[in-house]
Amino acid sequence: MPDLRKWLGLPAVAWMAAMPAFAQPEKASPTLPARAVPLTAGELKTAIAFDALTVPTPGEVFAAIDKGGKPNWSSQYRPPMSFSSTSRAQVALNLGTLIADGYIAVEAQDGQQVKNIGRDVFTLSKKLSVSDSVLARGKSITHFAENGAWAQLNEELEATQNEVKKALEDNRDGDLITLVSVGGWIRGTQVVTGLLMQNYNADDAKLLRQPALVSYLREKLDHVNPKLRQDKIVGQVSDHLEAIEKLVNFPADHVPGPDEVRNLNGLVAEVTQQIANVP
Amino acid sequence: MKPVFALTLSGLLMLTAMATQAEPASNEQVAARSEVLDLAGAFQNDGFKIHDGNLVGKVTRDHAQVVLVNLYSGNAYWFSAATSPSQSLKISLFDDQGRPVAYEPYIQGNRAAAGFSPSASGLYYVKISNDDVQPATFCLIYSYK
Repeated sequence: MPDLRKWLGLPAVAWMAAMPAFAQPEKASPTLPARAVPLTAGELKTAIAFDALTVPTPGEVFAAIDKGGKPNWSSQYRPPMSFSSTSRAQVALNLGTLIADGYIAVEAQDGQQVKNIGRDVFTLSKKLSVSDSVLARGKSITHFAENGAWAQLNEELEATQNEVKKALEDNRDGDLITLVSVGGWIRGTQVVTGLLMQNYNADDAKLLRQPALVSYLREKLDHVNPKLRQDKIVGQVSDHLEAIEKLVNFPADHVPGPDEVRNLNGLVAEVTQQIANVP
Repeated sequence: MKPVFALTLSGLLMLTAMATQAEPASNEQVAARSEVLDLAGAFQNDGFKIHDGNLVGKVTRDHAQVVLVNLYSGNAYWFSAATSPSQSLKISLFDDQGRPVAYEPYIQGNRAAAGFSPSASGLYYVKISNDDVQPATFCLIYSYK
């Protein structure tokens, strides 16, 4: 899937951000359109799901959390990891968790942490032979981190993630894209539940309802190539996702309580440790 | 509640085909992307960030495209699409059961958008359609804040 910023170049995006207010479209109030009809069974069945639009970035859930005030993002940092594993599956999963760590550092407005994570992302990208596409982004990330350009850093992280995925696709490593997405979502969920355990509130707890997303990731994981499927870590993550799916599958009007949040946090924390190969 | 979401193998094949566009973008695709970024740029003035991913495809009167997205309550979203200047598009939104939801509509010439603030996190469907028998090449992106 083409990357918008690569396609247009970052300056164009920056230019759009500077567009005058009169360029804004006139909008109407939210309404249910007249003659609105539900989707047909055929439309539901053939609806398109794909990584670039169906899987939200960690930045999107973190943006929702920011609405309720500034949480203590730095409390969700992890100790630096060592990357001894030669399993490409494990490296891809770790890469996803690390990119999520990058978003946390941006939310915490911690330039040094952003740069540290940027270096680790590059190290892991090298192991997957996609470091060339990350190198240029790494320079931008360092530049923005040193200048406290947090909004641009968010965009750069998203672009980095997409360039890694695009490079994996070009290298015919498409299955690893799924693992990067899974790693990112699991780490993001660990952070959300971790913050909720510190300071529970119902609005943020409602963010945990994502049954279709986990179902999508599980489905994709079930269809990775047999060699990758046999990797121990893929089996472990897949098993955990089944249990996690049950915890994030609740009615729209249900608000998970503190105990449900704690259970989910325990599960995702366990998977994150397995991904990081922490005994 | 069990979501309607069910990804079939054919669906997987379809998304793979759409997501891995090996061939270079056509002029229509390039124009549609340029237009939709111009539209989404206006929402950026309101603090919306563009999600870095897009869908390029074709719709006709008899064949709309429906895309699955996962949204977070508390966030506001704008789904934006554009096509060639001589054509028009419509975007509509549906909940995880395929029921229509209320949204802020925007249609101006060959550009369309739908603004939505979900009250529940989870799966939603975005439908891109047009009323023309001629295929319309479109580009869809979304922004959030």
